[in-house]
Amino acid sequence: MAVKGFVRNMKPLDVLTGEQLEEIHSATLHVLRKTGVRFDSTRALELFEKNGCRVNHDTNRVRFPEGLVEECLRKAPSRFHVRARNPENDMVWGGNTTYFQALSGMRTVDLNTWEPRTPTREEYYDAITVLDGLENVSIVPWYTPWFGFKHIPPVMAMPEGLAARLRNTSKFTCAGYSMGCELFNIQMAQAVGAELRTMMAASPPLTFYEETIDAAFRIVEAGFVLLPTSGSVYGGTAPATIAGSLVSGNAEIMAGLVFAQLVRPGTRVIAQDFSFPQNMRTGAPAFGSMEISLHQAAFNQIWHGYGIPTDGGVCYPNSKKIDYQAGYEKAIIATIGALSGTNTIWIQGALYGELAFHPVQAVIDDDIAGMLGRFLQGIEVNDETLAVGVIDEVGPIPGHYLNQPHTRKWWKKEQFIPRASDRLTHPEWLKQGKKDCIAIAKERCEQIRSCHRVSPPLTESQEQDVERIVKEARNFYRKKGLISDIEWENYQKDIASPNYPYG
Amino acid sequence: MALRGFLRSFKPFELITEEQVEQIHEGTLDVLANTGAKIYNDEALKVFKKNDCRVDFDEKLVRFPPAVVEECLRICPSSFRVRSRNPDHDLVLGLDHVVFFNFPGRDIVDLTTWESRPPSRKEHIDLVTVLDALPTVHFLNNYPYFGYSGIPENMKEMEGAAIRLAHSTKVTMEIANNDIDRFTFRMAKAIGTEIFANPNTSSPLTCYTDQTNACFLAAEHDLPSMIWDGATAGSTAPASIAGAVIASNAEVIPYIVLLQLLKPGARVAVANLVLPQNMKTGAPAFGDIGVSLHLAAYNQVWRRYGIPMVASSSGVSNSKVIGFQLAYEKTIPSLIAALSGSSAVQIHSSVYGEITAHPVQAILDDDIAHMIGRFVEGIVVSEDSLAVDLINTVGPIPGHFLGQAHTRRWWNREQYVTGSADRLTYPEWKSGGKKNDIEYAKERMEEILSTHTAHPPLTPGEEQEIEKILQEAREYFKKNGYISSSEWQEYMKTLQTEGRA
Repeated sequence: MAVKGFVRNMKPLDVLTGEQLEEIHSATLHVLRKTGVRFDSTRALELFEKNGCRVNHDTNRVRFPEGLVEECLRKAPSRFHVRARNPENDMVWGGNTTYFQALSGMRTVDLNTWEPRTPTREEYYDAITVLDGLENVSIVPWYTPWFGFKHIPPVMAMPEGLAARLRNTSKFTCAGYSMGCELFNIQMAQAVGAELRTMMAASPPLTFYEETIDAAFRIVEAGFVLLPTSGSVYGGTAPATIAGSLVSGNAEIMAGLVFAQLVRPGTRVIAQDFSFPQNMRTGAPAFGSMEISLHQAAFNQIWHGYGIPTDGGVCYPNSKKIDYQAGYEKAIIATIGALSGTNTIWIQGALYGELAFHPVQAVIDDDIAGMLGRFLQGIEVNDETLAVGVIDEVGPIPGHYLNQPHTRKWWKKEQFIPRASDRLTHPEWLKQGKKDCIAIAKERCEQIRSCHRVSPPLTESQEQDVERIVKEARNFYRKKGLISDIEWENYQKDIASPNYPYG
Repeated sequence: MALRGFLRSFKPFELITEEQVEQIHEGTLDVLANTGAKIYNDEALKVFKKNDCRVDFDEKLVRFPPAVVEECLRICPSSFRVRSRNPDHDLVLGLDHVVFFNFPGRDIVDLTTWESRPPSRKEHIDLVTVLDALPTVHFLNNYPYFGYSGIPENMKEMEGAAIRLAHSTKVTMEIANNDIDRFTFRMAKAIGTEIFANPNTSSPLTCYTDQTNACFLAAEHDLPSMIWDGATAGSTAPASIAGAVIASNAEVIPYIVLLQLLKPGARVAVANLVLPQNMKTGAPAFGDIGVSLHLAAYNQVWRRYGIPMVASSSGVSNSKVIGFQLAYEKTIPSLIAALSGSSAVQIHSSVYGEITAHPVQAILDDDIAHMIGRFVEGIVVSEDSLAVDLINTVGPIPGHFLGQAHTRRWWNREQYVTGSADRLTYPEWKSGGKKNDIEYAKERMEEILSTHTAHPPLTPGEEQEIEKILQEAREYFKKNGYISSSEWQEYMKTLQTEGRA
């Protein structure tokens, strides 16, 4: 039994005409055929060459014939099942279904000073518990909640993070790649009967590095889901125009998709839009800007036209605080993502850019996800909801609807009751201490953290397997010289502490 | 030259099917023909009777034949201009553009304690000045605060109207309560500007005398009308959204019919302030997603009628503070309203419900309105923007686009750079004092207040004429018992302090 997700009961928002779609598609194929994409991997180059691509082994440039690209687009499934640790949390991606997922950040923030800091192991595990307890979080992705925690060497961030997620949530999770850690990620996931989604991240413009390609081989060969992504910054690593950045980004993603289909035909692929405009003053990505939504809407139209599910709606604000700016920056991206048909939207938890996350933010964002999910369900139009008979019975003033059975039946279906927002009148609000949504969310966060438990917990043998694999990863990286002596010493102290692995 | 807002470059988002729109339309006609509406205005009853409606003069009940309704809807213009005393601020309202305007608040909110209080006259003027300066405020609502301290209830809106007419040249509107609009229309005429009449419905299915009189005044002065419906789904309208759309339609259409019967081709827009009922507190559920669902369906129906529609419920939130909740509760419905075809979206300046407002909030909302406007203007797809040759020239890493002429030419056209948001990196933000959006907006407010005035200013003759009409209004309302003796005394003191007694 899979988690249903929010089914969009109306046509998606379209921002491009049929002609514009064709122009972008043709331009993308042209770039793939003429400019090509660089793949720094002998194994990949040979694979492409064997399947009809023109390969320059000196420059590692691969040029793709249109026919091959279009055939691979056809081979990729348009809807597919993904398996979580708990089958009740399985999902079906594609078509008109939308799920929401947590959005990670490098570090936690102090909710008074808004300054970031590295979280503790306990905070890491607690944050995952909160995400597991939030109704509208369907996916707890890679790095979530944070890029590691105190006392662990950077190279162990991914394996420790995945172990933490597998222990504390039975929702679908993902894992990234770095220094070959996908070897351990795959083993951990298989040990607990879960599937993973891993990205194949281009380095724009038009480049895939060896580490990325090696990881992609492993993920696809393991039968897991691949997420090709661009990550371009328009004006920096892609053209400054939204149309042009769609072309170059799509060329990168398509190259990843072709790769996956050649390695293993029928590989489940979800295309990700992770592009941002360039902030031309600071040089950073312009998080939270409206162009992200325009790009996303067009991206969805294009890739759904190809029959490929999409991932995106990446709700990173540029604000450093949980404030008005963060609210509108996230709301716009999430709303456009939902209306234009993104299948998996990133929202719960992130503050500034990819640099901060907080579980209180996740609690607040979960309400936005619930609201948008309700919107996607649309409205019923039938004799009962049209209520012409009820309108006639109530008539003009002094009639009213409060005591109507129709009202009792319908009001709750038509509204979404948020869990972490101020819904009081002014006098009640004054009397109850002037709580804003942050204060309410803090209470809810603490309630979830203290009461919620993952279902089911890992079995004893699963826990042993996970711990064994994490230990193998430690020893592997230590032997490779990727964990220094001082890092190792701190790490060992952390592992030896009481209540490990929880902290 | 006029204020047209943002041109929509793609088809509006559709929540329901065409068949469902027709079902709602048929339901609307059914309610108007069989249930009818109560119209507490004998002059209006006579007009309806004369034009084939079934009228019960004792019950004040009018039933409208579908043919009359459909004909009156048909002859409403789908786009029209409203003239300002500054032609650059003429307003064009239509179906292919979206404009934005402010949502009022009774009081000003303290940005530290978040508590509310009546504003001073200066604060009222300041808010109007800021609204006049903001590029995405294309016209002004009435109020924007409910008057200011030291003036009687019934003069609050009138004094507010005088401030709007003096301190902004953007088109505005006037409520019809207690015949206030009689005086405001004269003030507007005296300075050569048109304003919207504002007949409001009373739900369910009731039109009161003064609101209906506004239609006669609009016809007499040849003014456009913006008809407001503020039903609450679950108490004064059905709890189901489809039913609430029908009820709302059936409430505004009597005014439309009257306006068209009085003056065929009268300029009309409909404003949607329908909110779900908060079943725990009894207040409206400001910011609920039901608002967005209703707006989207309503927009589709009124686009079918070809009549400009105004999203008003988008401008209200249940948050008492300028923070994250306020942002998403206003942004989501405003965005959905614009995408689903609203001709105008109300967003600027309101904080909680219709209870508080602030000019800093208006400045923050200016960015949201710009962002939404940027979105509806869409994406340019052309040979230049597709940039295929450039992509080939740059190639893979180590190529990049930063140094390209194409980038310099395009980035500023593609991006909207917010005016009052934190766009810094972490280190810059820390070293710059950790400023947030409210602080940026405060700086911008100070800049506007120290540099901006309405252009052109009123002439001394125009100012005198307005004051003369205000004085007539004061005496009229005092004579008719709307201002008590003690209120009058306080009022006179206030006017003396202002140098206006």
